[in-house]
Amino acid sequence: MFLTHLSLKNYRNYKSETIQFANNVNIILGENAQGKTNMMEAIYVLAMAKSHRTANDKDLIRWDEDYAKIEGRATKKNGALSLELIISKKGKKAKCNHVEQKRLSQYVGHLNIVMFAPEDLNLVKGSPQVRRRFVDMEIGQVSPVYIHDLSQYQKLLQQRNHYLRMLQTREQQDETVLDILTEQLIPLAAKITLKRHEFLLLLEKWAAPIHYEISHGLETLQIQYRPSVDVSERMELSRIIEAYSEKFATIKEREIQRGMTLVGPHRDDISFSVNGKDVQTFGSQGQQRTTALSIKLAEIELIFSEIGDYPILLLDDVLSELDDFRQTHLLDAIRQKVQTFVTTTSIDGIEHDIIKEAAIYKVHSGHVTAPLYD
Amino acid sequence: MHYPEPISKLIDSFMKLPGIGPKTAVRLAFFVLTMKEDTVLEFAKALVDVKRNIRYCTICGHITDTDPCYICKDERRDRTTICVVQDPKDVIAMEKMKEYNGLYHVLHGAISPMEGIGPEDIKIAELLKRLQDETVQEVILATNPNIEGEATAMYISRLLKPTGIKVTRIAHGLPVGGDLEYADEVTLSKALEGRREL
Repeated sequence: MFLTHLSLKNYRNYKSETIQFANNVNIILGENAQGKTNMMEAIYVLAMAKSHRTANDKDLIRWDEDYAKIEGRATKKNGALSLELIISKKGKKAKCNHVEQKRLSQYVGHLNIVMFAPEDLNLVKGSPQVRRRFVDMEIGQVSPVYIHDLSQYQKLLQQRNHYLRMLQTREQQDETVLDILTEQLIPLAAKITLKRHEFLLLLEKWAAPIHYEISHGLETLQIQYRPSVDVSERMELSRIIEAYSEKFATIKEREIQRGMTLVGPHRDDISFSVNGKDVQTFGSQGQQRTTALSIKLAEIELIFSEIGDYPILLLDDVLSELDDFRQTHLLDAIRQKVQTFVTTTSIDGIEHDIIKEAAIYKVHSGHVTAPLYD
Repeated sequence: MHYPEPISKLIDSFMKLPGIGPKTAVRLAFFVLTMKEDTVLEFAKALVDVKRNIRYCTICGHITDTDPCYICKDERRDRTTICVVQDPKDVIAMEKMKEYNGLYHVLHGAISPMEGIGPEDIKIAELLKRLQDETVQEVILATNPNIEGEATAMYISRLLKPTGIKVTRIAHGLPVGGDLEYADEVTLSKALEGRREL
């Protein structure tokens, strides 16, 4: 799929800007603090209805304005798509092909993107939370039911934690309510666990050969899902539900003592290992980078296999973080098939044909100068 | 902005109503100025009357001007079935259907620890009391199909298990008369989960 037009109104440092993009590589060139990343973020928000940089939507609105608006037009395999997202202080309004979408879970997933930003190098060495977020974002793009299950799970988790705290402080004595909340939580937890397991299996299938190639055939990447219950022998919904039920029964007292839920997808982790060794602990900087890159490239293929259309790739300031060989590999992988947006302060030193074919946009304090087409 | 005191008081009062913001409140207040005095008096009286004369039925908790309410009093209704709902508005919705002929029980809320609402804060004890004599044979749980409503339904069903009373839960799925293509993914997946053999 290709994003052909983007309009920004009162978005971050953009007042009003409409940009037309090329179908292959678009380079967003500019000095620091001119709005390059803001534009990438805008494309991200248009697709995901939330930012990867901030949890507070109000940050996205230009200073002293009431609302921000992002509009985009895209060409997909099966036709045209127009998206519109209005962010105001009261909330978000999302339109897909001019029809308002009541639930954001119905809006997300129309425009598929893969973003690779410097923060993504944290995917390997960062906290488990970063990895869970990554998994949720990716599954969410292809499964609206997953987004719904996840939000239900989070709501229930809050309810349950509140009740556990009430039991802890003896404000409440009735354990039946806790049992009910546990009973409600388990099927959701199991569904999320199963989906994450399936996703990571697929991701490994795509990422391993890519990693093998980038590492010149020296490294084998393995991705391992680490849920908080042991279900390694049989990954079926009924078995996972059983495992959670057993676990919750044994830790009930401890949960009441601590006043919080100690088991569930909110405590999952994922580990990456190269040649059998955990990359997070034993991997070199280079291995961690290769791992992050392989995973991002695998995501592109994974989305293609799920929906039959390539996603849009956003590369925010990462080319400079990769050495020549990895750069070449990345650029070769996307060539001719994936529409890509690259931000950089300078295009000198990137020796790849793809750069010569690219459309270059200059960003200067919230204004974009489009390339001159012949 | 300076309004004469009677007007600003009226604006303030309108703003206490749900869904009314400052702008609408001003518009309503100025409209009242143009209304005939009789109409305004009638309006004011209606407000006071609703507060003075409407109570909750001591049996089922539905809103009523007579106690017990017209549903609980009605001899023709089936006294073996009680439909449990969260809100008086839900009773009215059920009654519109004209198919259900049993009694109701209004809980006035749902269990939600986050909002500090536990089982003792809603009318569950009252429900149990009603079930003590042996007329009731079925309890239909018609709480909302969201997390809190579901938790409340599960809680009540657990309490009722030892009594041997039949407990049922209303189904969720596709709206009748709607098109499949307009249903959202989540409703569709729920409908699929609850499919049955023909």
